[in-house]
Amino acid sequence: MSSDVVVDIQGLTKRFGARTVFEDISLQVRRSEVVAVIGPSGAGKSTFIRCINYLHPFDAGRIRVLGHELVGGGAPPSKATLRQVRMQVGMAFQTFNLFPHLTALGNVMLGPMETKRVPARDARDKAMALLSSVGLADRAEAYPRRLSGGEQQRVAICRALAMDPEVMLFDEPTSMLDPEMVGEVLATIRGLASQGMTLILVTHEMQFAKEVADTVVVMADGRVVEQGPARDVLEHPTSERSRTFLTRVLKPLEAPGVSGEASPPGGSGRGATTALGGDVR
Amino acid sequence: MHVVALYWRVIVGGGAVDLELTAIAVAVSVVVGVLAAIGRVYGGKLLGGFIAVYVEIIRGLPPILQLFIIYFGLSQFQINLPSFSAGLLWLILYGTGYAVEIFRAGIEAVSVGQREAADALGLTRAQALRRVILPQAWMVMLPSLMTFLVLQVKNTTLLYLVGIADIMYQARLGTSATEQPAIMYGMAAIAYLIINLTLSRIGSTLERRQALYR
Repeated sequence: MSSDVVVDIQGLTKRFGARTVFEDISLQVRRSEVVAVIGPSGAGKSTFIRCINYLHPFDAGRIRVLGHELVGGGAPPSKATLRQVRMQVGMAFQTFNLFPHLTALGNVMLGPMETKRVPARDARDKAMALLSSVGLADRAEAYPRRLSGGEQQRVAICRALAMDPEVMLFDEPTSMLDPEMVGEVLATIRGLASQGMTLILVTHEMQFAKEVADTVVVMADGRVVEQGPARDVLEHPTSERSRTFLTRVLKPLEAPGVSGEASPPGGSGRGATTALGGDVR
Repeated sequence: MHVVALYWRVIVGGGAVDLELTAIAVAVSVVVGVLAAIGRVYGGKLLGGFIAVYVEIIRGLPPILQLFIIYFGLSQFQINLPSFSAGLLWLILYGTGYAVEIFRAGIEAVSVGQREAADALGLTRAQALRRVILPQAWMVMLPSLMTFLVLQVKNTTLLYLVGIADIMYQARLGTSATEQPAIMYGMAAIAYLIINLTLSRIGSTLERRQALYR
């Protein structure tokens, strides 16, 4: 196995009681690779991505993240291993999950200050740089409830990035957003991809997946039904199951004029201000 | 009306005793209550179960019976607690039982998503509790905590039964000396109202301040 594999998943299996959520999933993610996990609702996509940082324990298989191994079934991983994995794997949630009692700035500063004992001044400088890079410098002192959904998700992404993760997980990051806010969040994610961040995202934004993903994984009925280079999978799916799924979700988007361009409804948000500019790490 | 002039200092003295007892008891039961609530939520079957049983006993027995068991019951085993100690011990034991439930409800009211966000950042459980869960639980619990404080002030009235010289005790004493129960108990009522209305006022100020970021 080549050494630039950042996340190596082998034979991952997850059950809830008697029900199998998914079975025997294997996936290698190389440094700077962007992997999009797509598929119908209930396919276990979110559960799968949440296993990678062990928010969900799993029943069989193993996940290796930069030398730290999580093994399914049996005893849970040691606290030290778990922390090592989680500090290197950032996550953005469908529902943002910002800490409501802290300002945007406080949310972004918390991780490094608690887990790495970074001095407040340094944490603040870095948090401000991150917030500026997503166009939210002027919202730093606002509490989450004063922020729009799109702003909350961008702050949540900054909160994860403040830990200098090696990999970012996105669990349907735009599915709770109003259409006009989807663009600003996608622009932020696009910026990360272009800076070479390793990304694994569960998404329903097919055009976005086609644009930014190197690899697409199609999950359905508790299995990976197809997996491969993004364009191949999305344009020439070979498995029957992914073909039916893709026909269903891509049809409305294949109107004339809407080709591979990832312009979600409502445009690309704030454009230049939302792109992650410069090296803020 | 010279009865009022004669007795108001005594009643105020009783009030000071009530406040002292309440303050110590609430402080201890809040600290022990937070720890016990954490044990109840995260402590597994054995510790969690033990705490749950304790809470059920405290909530299931009449307050006077609890007080009498501590003061009179224990004396049969040559454990003769002075009035003040017995009264304080009961207030603490009773208050802790209630505080556990208040804190447990507060901790459990914090959403799973908050826990997951803290986990995903790599925070330890202690860090997550201190920085993420307890600050939010505090917002949820504040009204119940203020109710609890007022309840404990009112509970001190029972302590005259073991001879602690609180407001109630002084009012009864004054009544038998002056045969003017309306005035004596009226003064006691005013004293309790002043204490509890002040506490409520402090409580709602705190709640308003917390509400700023909710």
